[in-house]
Amino acid sequence: MEKIVIEHLTKKFGDTIAIDDLNLTIEPGKITGLIGADGAGKTTLLRLIIGLIRADAGHISVLGINPDQDKDKLTPLIGYMPQKFGLYEDLTVLENLTLHADLKDVPHDFGEMLKFTTLAPFQDRMAGALSGGMKQKLGLACALLGKPKFLVLDEPSVGVDPISRRDLMRMVRALINPETTIIWSTAYLDEAHSFDTAVVLDKGKVIYQGAPHSLAPTSQKFESKVIELMGGYIPHPSEVAANYQVEPFAGDYVVEADNLVKKYGNFYAIKDNTFQIKRGEIFGLLGPNGAGKSTSFKIMCGLAKPTSGTSRIMGVDILEEPERARSHLGYMAQKFSLYGALTVRQNLDFFAAIYGIDRNTRSQRVSEIIRIFELENVADQTAEELPLGFKQRLSMAAALIHNPSVLFLDEPTSGVDVLSRREFWNHIIGLAKKGVTILVTTHFMDEAEYCDRISLFYHGETIAIGTPAELKAQAGAATMEEAFINLIKASDNENSDSPH
Amino acid sequence: MIASLRRILALIKKEFIMIWLDPKSRGVIIATPLLQLFIFANTVTMEVKNIDLAILDLDRTVESRELISHFEGSDHFREFSYFENEQSFRDAIDIQAVQLGLKIKDGFGRDVQAKIPTEVLIVADGRSTNTAALAAGYANLIIANYSATVSPVTGSAVNIVVRNWFNPNLEYQWFILTIIVCMLSVVMTLILTSLSIARERELGTFDQLVVSPLSSAEILIGKTIPPLIIALGITVLMTGAVTTIYTVPFHGSLLLLLFSTLIALTSIIGVGLFISSICKTQQQAMLSVMTFMAPITLTAGYISPIEDMPVFLQYLTYANPMRWYVASTKGLFLKGIAYDMVLQNCYPLIIIAIITLTLAAWTFTLKRE
Amino acid sequence: MKTLIPLIKKEILQIVRDPSTIIIAFILPFISMLIYMYGISLDSVHVTIGIKNDNPNMDTASLVSTFDKNQYISTVIIDNEKKMASAILRGNVHGCVVIPNDFCTRLSRGEAADLQLVTDGAETNTANYIYSYTISIANQWLATSPYAGKAKTNIITADIRNWYNPTLDSHHFILPGSIAVTMTFIGILLTALVVAREWERGTMESLLSTRVKAIHIVLAKYIPYYFVAMVSMIFNFVMTVFVFDIPFRGNFLILFFVSSLFVFDLLGVGLTISTYYKNQFLASMLSMGIGFMPALMLSGLLFPINSMPEIFQWLTYLLPPRYFSTFILSEFLAGTVPELVIFNSIFLTVIGGLLFGLVYYLTPSRLEK
Repeated sequence: MEKIVIEHLTKKFGDTIAIDDLNLTIEPGKITGLIGADGAGKTTLLRLIIGLIRADAGHISVLGINPDQDKDKLTPLIGYMPQKFGLYEDLTVLENLTLHADLKDVPHDFGEMLKFTTLAPFQDRMAGALSGGMKQKLGLACALLGKPKFLVLDEPSVGVDPISRRDLMRMVRALINPETTIIWSTAYLDEAHSFDTAVVLDKGKVIYQGAPHSLAPTSQKFESKVIELMGGYIPHPSEVAANYQVEPFAGDYVVEADNLVKKYGNFYAIKDNTFQIKRGEIFGLLGPNGAGKSTSFKIMCGLAKPTSGTSRIMGVDILEEPERARSHLGYMAQKFSLYGALTVRQNLDFFAAIYGIDRNTRSQRVSEIIRIFELENVADQTAEELPLGFKQRLSMAAALIHNPSVLFLDEPTSGVDVLSRREFWNHIIGLAKKGVTILVTTHFMDEAEYCDRISLFYHGETIAIGTPAELKAQAGAATMEEAFINLIKASDNENSDSPH
Repeated sequence: MIASLRRILALIKKEFIMIWLDPKSRGVIIATPLLQLFIFANTVTMEVKNIDLAILDLDRTVESRELISHFEGSDHFREFSYFENEQSFRDAIDIQAVQLGLKIKDGFGRDVQAKIPTEVLIVADGRSTNTAALAAGYANLIIANYSATVSPVTGSAVNIVVRNWFNPNLEYQWFILTIIVCMLSVVMTLILTSLSIARERELGTFDQLVVSPLSSAEILIGKTIPPLIIALGITVLMTGAVTTIYTVPFHGSLLLLLFSTLIALTSIIGVGLFISSICKTQQQAMLSVMTFMAPITLTAGYISPIEDMPVFLQYLTYANPMRWYVASTKGLFLKGIAYDMVLQNCYPLIIIAIITLTLAAWTFTLKRE
Repeated sequence: MKTLIPLIKKEILQIVRDPSTIIIAFILPFISMLIYMYGISLDSVHVTIGIKNDNPNMDTASLVSTFDKNQYISTVIIDNEKKMASAILRGNVHGCVVIPNDFCTRLSRGEAADLQLVTDGAETNTANYIYSYTISIANQWLATSPYAGKAKTNIITADIRNWYNPTLDSHHFILPGSIAVTMTFIGILLTALVVAREWERGTMESLLSTRVKAIHIVLAKYIPYYFVAMVSMIFNFVMTVFVFDIPFRGNFLILFFVSSLFVFDLLGVGLTISTYYKNQFLASMLSMGIGFMPALMLSGLLFPINSMPEIFQWLTYLLPPRYFSTFILSEFLAGTVPELVIFNSIFLTVIGGLLFGLVYYLTPSRLEK
């Protein structure tokens, strides 16, 4: 087996140095985790390794092939999952799999794959109609087809729930040959900790390479070590929260969901969702992919119409007065939905303006939020060029620009590096203390601990609700992740005679 | 009210940044209509020039050569190929080596000298139906002139003394360019509006707009004004080019032109918004735009007059914004019509605009759910 | 092949899923053909003429009634100059015939009498028709009038024959021509967005990481859309020949063969735009702007190529519609002319090949060129 050897690799985009004289050797037959801050050059490195882009200087050897010259020889040997997963949204799950199987010339034997990914019930659904996590699984399944010799995964587990992440990991390990080499870029440090090797990138250079266990014995400690490597995180009060003004509200509950039901044909996306959130509360909506979390979000901010039931924001019914209800709301969608063609500053300026911030304070406000979210260096770049983590920061900044009293954050930290995640939550907690009411979803179970209350949502229904401590107690678990898994399994057992 | 205005302004500014500040996009938006105008202006003519003529002279007398030299003296004709026999003469026309054939039969010269009425054969290529008759007409005129020189006759005759108002030399360019200005501004508006919402939908940014405090009406207005301004600007630019470079007269008031263009484009914007609210992707939007453009340009009344259409189609053209827009624009350019006649063409446009905009607003709010 | 077939299958699935493909491939041609067939006629245009008779007597009354009896002319009696001016300005009449007060006196003296004709030059096409109608009606009247004996005659007359389309029936020309136009539409628009779409949606990155090569991407776009366009072509042909009864004198296989080449060219144009811009919005603007309209204008179908400035005549050699419209008109009206088939096929093949090469060159095998 051949190693992957990278020597003096340099890649520039215009004046920006993405990869800076990088040297790296990756052992064959192992899983190497690639971690690093947003914009450290992870995606660029992966693209260089498989020859999707060409280096300015340096040399790469992958399986004895130089991707710069012999890309065509290399591609049949690799499986690659890009960050945008590259699915055809107007084809069904099965058709996407068939396409990739045919391109790799492997039989159409997807039984195992569909089972692992739990996509079997959705195989005839359009890929575009899948939930974010499901798309992720499908993208990974496509990359895994044909047992490639070398697997390159660019953040495959972004937005994937804990159970599915375990499934993904099992799936990867089960569906490949022992000698397969894997590079897996990830923001989940528990995941990286379980790999054979960890590579930490910073500003286009390798700052650490070695066995994760030799850095730290547990994944929590591994996380602190990585944070240290990346420059360390010093706790400080949130700057966003510092001057935040929240509108007064006298009612009991700022956000209410009343028996929300959403039906597509015979399929219940949401069966019955009811919850209330108090002022200043951080309310976490957890649940596996496809449970109906994003649909609930969309209904609650008026993007989709419920089949029955309604919701209220600060006492205003979203169905009756959608515009007034939304005027208090900051919304961060799961999928990046700002203008790719506009620059960071133009995007923020636009959202500030449509939220009615007047001209005089606007530029000051925009500059301030750019500084807080550390977007100064990319302020004049178009949003589509940004790395995923920066896109998320920008989305968060846009959602906060008008000082909303209510925040709906749909997976705000997906694809964000560990340092920025801490900072995000620092802001969220700071805002909640100021009285902002927050509804948030996440797949990072350590983050769930920050929530005041959590609703565990599964198959369109709330299966448990309470504080993190209560849920852990109910599930008899030590960590939130364990609690999540136990409660879902318990629910599965209950319903085993009436499968979904 | 002020807050609403501010939001709309923000949206307008954003639209401008996206369609205008991107140099590639700006280039395409300005260059394509002007390029088209340039090409149209230079190629659109109904006059038939540079005709290549096949000649089969079976007579070979002084008279037949004289007749041929009359053809050579005409500036409508370019090249003259002489053939020896019927077959090669036919072949030349068959393979379109020439556009017109002239066959002078044996005995032509004798007949002319004897002042016996005689005929020459003109063969036109019916495959080019639109030019065949014109080319044959030129030939006919040349023959009549020659006839008059060999045998001057006098007698009763009717001379048609024609005066063409508004376009004395019946310059086809004048006619077509005014229409092209309408067509291009309509196409432009239609593409800009229908694609801009379809693009937001396809790329997912639309949700973010909906969640914002922007109301449906504000989104519609914000999406409407930038294409309108750009199209108006392009119309003025094209009007300038047409009147200066191509010397098409403009007798009317520019203000009235802007006014009627504004009304016409508003009705078109309704259509564009309607298309974009029923389309999920840009591909669908563009194909729908074309499917709409083809019939409205064909039935606007300049290719073939509306009075000539079947009655039911004539009624349908009442709903065709292009019909009214072309009428008022042409009137303003060439006839210098006053506001009362411009208004006559604007009333139907206003009704169409109200209908299309209502329809668009209705499907738009329906789709938002 | 193993890489190509799945890509083609994928493309076909996407085509089948998208109703807009069906709209552009079948509905658009159908609507346009209906309009070409029933809405447009270039043979004879119906006009309304005002008549101002300054010499009222029996003879001029018969002249007026000759105008009146003509099936293409409606007449309106106009009393004075002012009313005439207003009627023409407002478009109530397309022109006005003025019979001067010495009209009959001159004719009876055996002289040429003037018949004044004022036309609305803003309606340039119609003005031309009115002129030729008036000439023929005046001569027709003169031949049956009491002044016929004194009329002058030419000794040489032209015997005009229109080969291939003896009656110059414009539908025999317009409908086959419209096939060329519609195919240009379909071929370019169908493919103008399909590569840009893959870039915008991120699927290109995924394709490039598999063993798919640039050539596969190119062929997988050409082949399915070739079939869509050809099915649409056959649909157009069947409509033209069997539904609208336009005579087809050529050979279907040859038509099919040359159409194939034409489609090959058009897909090349669409794909070049799409591959170059990687942005659906710009690709739409451009395919409308330079892909479609000028190609149509320069095809020779609407306006005679020979009359264009020389540089544009040369430009037409680069444009596929030029070759195809020449070919299809000839194939319909004259039957197969081997020289034309070969000449046009060679050019279509060369252009298609060059475009294919260009598309292939522009298709990267990496994310950056």
